[in-house]
Amino acid sequence: MNIIYYLPLILIFVSVIISIKYRNWGYILSAVSSIIFIAFTYRTFDYITYFYLIAGIVWTITSIYSLSYGKNYGKWLAPLFILTIAGMMTILYANNFLVFIAGWEIMSIPAYLTVAINKKNDIEAYVFMFFSEISTVLIMVSAVLSYYYTGTFGFNKINNDYVLLIFTLGAMSKMGLTPFMISEWLPIAHGSAPANSSAIFSATMTLMGVYGITKLALLSPVSEVIGILFIAIGIISVMFGSLYAYISENMKSLGGFSTIENNGTLLSALGLYIAINDGIFRAFVLISILIFAMSHSIAKTGLFLTIGNTGTEYFSGISDNKGLLARMGKFFILSSLSGLFPGIGGLGTWMILESFFMGAFIQGAIGISSIIGGSLLAMGEGFATAAMFKVYYFTDNHSKKNNKNNLETYTIFSTGVMLVFLFSISFLLIGKEYISGIPNVLIFNGFMIESRFGPADFGLLSPIYVVLITLFFTLLAYLVFGKPKTRTVKRWNTGIENNETYNSFTYSSNIRLMLKKILKTNSGKSDLETVDIFWYFMIRIASSYRKLTKYISYKIMNSSISTYMIYMIIAFISIIVIVSLY
Amino acid sequence: MSQWFLKGIKKGIKTEKNFDDKFKPDYPSRLEGKSGYNCPVNAIKNGEWDENKCIYCGKCDLKPTKDEKIYKINDKLPKMFKKSLYIYPLDSGTCGACNAEFNSIFYPQYDANRFNIFLSNTPRHADALLLMGVYTEKMHDVMIDALDAMPDPKIIIGFGSCALSGGILGSSINEKFNVEIAGCPPDPYTIISAILKYKGGVK
Amino acid sequence: MQSFNKKTGRYIGRYKNYDVYSNEIVRISEENKEDINKKLPGEITFNYGPSAGGLEESVNFNIITPGERINSVRVDSSFKRRNIKILNDSVDSALLKVERINGYHSASNSICFLLAVENALNIENGESNNKRIIEIELERIRSNLHVIKCLAESAGFSIPEKQLSYLIEDVSRIISTVFKHRYFFGANYINDVNGNFNNLNESILKIKNEFMVIYQDLLTSKIFMDRLQENGTVRDMNSTGPAARASGYNYDARLDSSSLYYESYKIFTGSSGDVFSRFMVRSDEVFSSIELIENTEIKENESKNKYDLNKSGTGYARIESPQGDLFYHVDIKDGRINDILMVSPSYLNIKLFEKAMPGNIFTDFFFVWESFGIWISEKEVNFI
Repeated sequence: MNIIYYLPLILIFVSVIISIKYRNWGYILSAVSSIIFIAFTYRTFDYITYFYLIAGIVWTITSIYSLSYGKNYGKWLAPLFILTIAGMMTILYANNFLVFIAGWEIMSIPAYLTVAINKKNDIEAYVFMFFSEISTVLIMVSAVLSYYYTGTFGFNKINNDYVLLIFTLGAMSKMGLTPFMISEWLPIAHGSAPANSSAIFSATMTLMGVYGITKLALLSPVSEVIGILFIAIGIISVMFGSLYAYISENMKSLGGFSTIENNGTLLSALGLYIAINDGIFRAFVLISILIFAMSHSIAKTGLFLTIGNTGTEYFSGISDNKGLLARMGKFFILSSLSGLFPGIGGLGTWMILESFFMGAFIQGAIGISSIIGGSLLAMGEGFATAAMFKVYYFTDNHSKKNNKNNLETYTIFSTGVMLVFLFSISFLLIGKEYISGIPNVLIFNGFMIESRFGPADFGLLSPIYVVLITLFFTLLAYLVFGKPKTRTVKRWNTGIENNETYNSFTYSSNIRLMLKKILKTNSGKSDLETVDIFWYFMIRIASSYRKLTKYISYKIMNSSISTYMIYMIIAFISIIVIVSLY
Repeated sequence: MSQWFLKGIKKGIKTEKNFDDKFKPDYPSRLEGKSGYNCPVNAIKNGEWDENKCIYCGKCDLKPTKDEKIYKINDKLPKMFKKSLYIYPLDSGTCGACNAEFNSIFYPQYDANRFNIFLSNTPRHADALLLMGVYTEKMHDVMIDALDAMPDPKIIIGFGSCALSGGILGSSINEKFNVEIAGCPPDPYTIISAILKYKGGVK
Repeated sequence: MQSFNKKTGRYIGRYKNYDVYSNEIVRISEENKEDINKKLPGEITFNYGPSAGGLEESVNFNIITPGERINSVRVDSSFKRRNIKILNDSVDSALLKVERINGYHSASNSICFLLAVENALNIENGESNNKRIIEIELERIRSNLHVIKCLAESAGFSIPEKQLSYLIEDVSRIISTVFKHRYFFGANYINDVNGNFNNLNESILKIKNEFMVIYQDLLTSKIFMDRLQENGTVRDMNSTGPAARASGYNYDARLDSSSLYYESYKIFTGSSGDVFSRFMVRSDEVFSSIELIENTEIKENESKNKYDLNKSGTGYARIESPQGDLFYHVDIKDGRINDILMVSPSYLNIKLFEKAMPGNIFTDFFFVWESFGIWISEKEVNFI
């Protein structure tokens, strides 16, 4: 065992302890260890290590952001936040199921606590705990199954897909995808945490699920049935996730729904990966998944940081205006999340959609599912764009004065710029077999990404050229026309003062009215609140779970928070016992 | 819609090249003669007739001449409006007749559009504000707002005896007008000839 | 007709704190406060007016909507409320002002006022009955054509709109030839109408023929019918004029008021109460009005009496103006107006419009608004 290789993991656990006493030093150390983690683990073209890069970037950003943002919260936030990161790092270091599960629990338990302490009402924490524990149980089952088939707890090639299926179900529960309709726990739970924690929950905690599924998919045989099943689950999640994001009034909830939408896209792409047999095509789908995961995770982090920066949770609470830097950062982040250029999200979405449309060339069920899946995904992306525009426009009160920049706005700006940067250099991240060029039209070899299926070229895209041309024309327009000349005049509102503003709720009312049946909009004479019957169902599950834990906690101790502590200690001890036994 | 188009064609051109003088109304038109009538709106003072104050009730001894030119032009039209004039009508408190008469200049018989006179839907895009009706408290503020909203240079047209002098019902809403079109209500002949005179068009 | 506390006959409307029924005037303790528009979450107030293109008069609409659907509309007509100083005026001077209450329906207003005065001062007025009917029916033709023109305009049908505009101007010219003024100003006197009725029948026949063609063309247009049918449906006992008749109520002051004597008149009613049936009723009434004018004989007044107006008395009159019941009640003391009460059909029509609007969408707004033929000028009058 190379101790240097594990240095980041050791450092991050150390920073948990430091942060109990020295909050800022803890955050700084966690950022440092995240950077070392990237340096030690990332290898170009070794696709699985891209997850390390993504996670490392997100942790670095959120840790730096927390230096300023964390001030508003109590002492408890820093250790819990860093411990969650430590759990995730453990998962990424894991080379067998047991360490993976240990990491999974180390990641989850501080997350419940974060939600529980942040919210007065503890139902959100129980909801979170309920779904997390379901996922832990399912992952444990898949570990046992894997042991049964291979004889070890290590990640080895398996001949059937039960392990993959059960593991995926577990991971999906964590990603908020299953059971289909009651996917809402995630936005509610994520929306209940401080923004920096929401960011790592949404961006990296769900990424761990994708990581696990990808890891197992690489080890499992091709299976058309499971593939199509995943595509279907993914697509449904995309549609609902984007719709609910669009109508959400709680900004963090909106981020949560957007996470479901992105995870749905990733799962359906993984489904395509599992279902197809063509080696080159598979590699393209895999790199698409990674690029998309990268854009989702980093941009989602940026989204939560933007929301955190507003200092409020609901659109209606927006009262101030951030500077140009924050607005530019926000623009890149949200355009990336909308699947638009010049963020890397544009590339990710393009690649995923290309994969699906190439899949349509395969005969049979998989061809049909990919064409349907691809079109629905594209539609979901359309909704997502509308939802992101809502965030862009309504997180600003559009007043003239610009606020001063601080660490938070700089972080947001750099996140946005990083997305553009990653987009421009994306030709360096993608395997040589998909890189080409057309020197005739001055796109030199190596600068163009090409999706290819069989003998035919499918699509072409040169990110660096997109960025350069955009930049060139922007500068040209600025140089030629200069700063736009504007004149402010009093609004003519047919003769009387206007005291009505177009708000975020009205922005999304069209969908509320149009999709009355799906969204269960309570329209007509009464109000337009969207009532989701599945949410009631879920609350019932959560409250019965709470009753059970309450019963147990009364047996042991009379305080709810102490129950968590006891639970945490027991969980830790059992993990240590399991790991040491192995 | 093609059937409507054909029906429209079939009807032929209904716009009158030279307005049909036969239909010029007696009232309002220029009044002639002398009268010692005790005018309720003081339009006759010392035997002098004031077209802006007159409500053309036909009760006095002055004789109508069917001469439609009862308007006053107080300044020169800004050059930029020579080619087209966009008018925004503002009703501050009319009986409805002024509104109807102003709209009728766009009816096929007169078709003011051919003289490059147009209606604007908002004061923002208007060259001229056409004021009609008596002073009313709430509409006074609206008028101020509308004048604010208009780009410079702006023209104010007083329309009808209510706007010009308050008529018999009240007081005037504004004091200075670039163009004063008299009548109660001014008939289309008067309106078009007044605007054309101001614009320097034909007729 | 006295202020007792019972309500008999149908409801005509309200002026200040008097409720007017076809047989009674009821004093109400205080004017009911308009219910304030309550907004639910997700609804926005869309403001239209008081001054905007597309509005003929100054009126403000407070439209509450969650998006495309209109949940409620409040009409604020108070912007152009005119204070008309009429009390203590002589009848002649008051008539000049009454003519200018609603210029578009000036004949109805001045005739109704004169009928009330004649009723108050016990002046025999049978001689001018027919002339007055012709006047009112001419006004009705123009008013109904105007409403139909506005409906065509709302549908974006410029050709019928222009054709109807042409007809309206023709009617105005006929009026100007007969009465020397395009809006009947100065045409009415106590028991007399000043007009030259020769050649009226010929010219009105031309209008009839032209309108018949346009009317039939409009009825063959599926798009036009589609926009009008099942749009702005309202059925209310307290309604008046064409709007009432379009929803099946046979309310018509030409039948149930004795102020003017109509020899024979056939009433047209619709049943569905939507914009389309209001359009039908109005079109039918254009023809019936033309028929009435053709069949009404005109005799020059034999008695050219100068009437002694320096008397006292109370009287009322109710006639069918183009948009519904118009009611005047005057109290004259020594030839001067001591008190006056006027109820215009626009009062009830605005209420009906507010009732008809919920559930409709924005594109239907103008159809419904125009179909009632509301004039703000006659609603917002404050006699002082």
